[in-house]
Amino acid sequence: MVIFSRYSWWVAAMIGLALFLTAAGQVGILGPFQNLFLQAATPVEKAFDGIFRPVASLLSDFDDLRSLQEENRQLRLENEKLQNRVTELELDAARVQELEKALEITQSDTSQQKVAANVVSHDSSPFTDVISIDRGSNDGIQPGMNVLSSQGSLIGTVTKVTPDHSFIRLITDSKSKVNAQVRDTQVEGIVKGGPNRTITFDLAQAEVKVGDVIVTSGLGGNYQAGIPIARVTEVKGTPQDLFAEVKLEPLVRLSTVQTVLVLTSFVPQRLDLDD
Amino acid sequence: MREIIFAAALFLAAIAQVTVAPLFPIQGAVPDFVLVTLITFATWAGPRTAMVSLPIVAVFLGFAGNREPGLLILAYLPLLPLGLFIDEANLPFSRFVQVLLTAAGTGLWARLVMSAGAFIGGAEVSLSGLLFLVLVPGLFLDILLVTFAYLPFRLMGKQARPMTLQRGTFSG
Repeated sequence: MVIFSRYSWWVAAMIGLALFLTAAGQVGILGPFQNLFLQAATPVEKAFDGIFRPVASLLSDFDDLRSLQEENRQLRLENEKLQNRVTELELDAARVQELEKALEITQSDTSQQKVAANVVSHDSSPFTDVISIDRGSNDGIQPGMNVLSSQGSLIGTVTKVTPDHSFIRLITDSKSKVNAQVRDTQVEGIVKGGPNRTITFDLAQAEVKVGDVIVTSGLGGNYQAGIPIARVTEVKGTPQDLFAEVKLEPLVRLSTVQTVLVLTSFVPQRLDLDD
Repeated sequence: MREIIFAAALFLAAIAQVTVAPLFPIQGAVPDFVLVTLITFATWAGPRTAMVSLPIVAVFLGFAGNREPGLLILAYLPLLPLGLFIDEANLPFSRFVQVLLTAAGTGLWARLVMSAGAFIGGAEVSLSGLLFLVLVPGLFLDILLVTFAYLPFRLMGKQARPMTLQRGTFSG
């Protein structure tokens, strides 16, 4: 192994450095250096994003032109339905309020505090899907907090926080698991990230239909209950199967998200984050 | 001055890896700008430059993407030994093909190590996903990008350097 003998000292030094950096990362020595780096990197990240995102969008839109036209038609129909539904719900809400007053029920405070942040980077591979944002512990963000899209659907969880930046594991990351339920039928299951940024609804023990909306169930205490996550796009399996194979599509296109909301009013009760 | 330019290039490569690369995926794999930068440095500036650059860019990328810098060092570690092995194997290929082989081998190893890191960290193990979503499209992307990075230097008339470490010389 002449090759390794010539590079042996260097290879040994690199392995030693790798071990040192891993240990240093575990005890948090690298944190301040990472924060400094991120402060310097943020303007460059924003510049790169500003230049290359439109190019990527253009290529993506060109590729998806036909499906986008169909999606647009569907969305118009759906928008009309939703407008009607909103009107109904507003009427229902007014009625509930009246009833609550009549029954003297004190409504608990359901106000949610959110911190808006810009996405500065998106580190993606078939098994990982992580974004970083330009807000951190100085803005009240803590590990484990839920992160929503600007429309209010769940996109991930805060896994690491520096004073000015946070890293968020998206629901499409293959380490992500969210206790969830079908919004209309309350059938429970787990929304799991899979390879290549796919998500599935596992362990659902009752019928799930294409088009069903999946929301967080709140079980386990890591996520606030009732946050919309995704829509069912495909259901495979026979009635004999214990669990059907349910594929989901996030309600927001995660690759193009530029602004997120961190739900600072909800602090998870139990943390089992690994980084 | 040369060192500042190299450091800036490494910084930009790390930032591009977490901002630009995810915008252009093929299947599930994304371009590996860090690997291309290291191969370019090793081929045109010499192995000593790549030896110094590797840990620096690993730390930059670790900070930018919240990854383990130690794991990234191990991911790109075979670059120079593999390049030297291919150099000295007297294969009947041009220097360009030898560089592509080095890139392909290092790229495969790097993606394997990073996927293994994800599996150990709790990601669901999927061997078919690893093969068809990571390794095969990744190999294609690495060869494509290294070709794009190689050609301009050749067109400028530069000669690719061997990966051999020469005593008493400075190629960096």
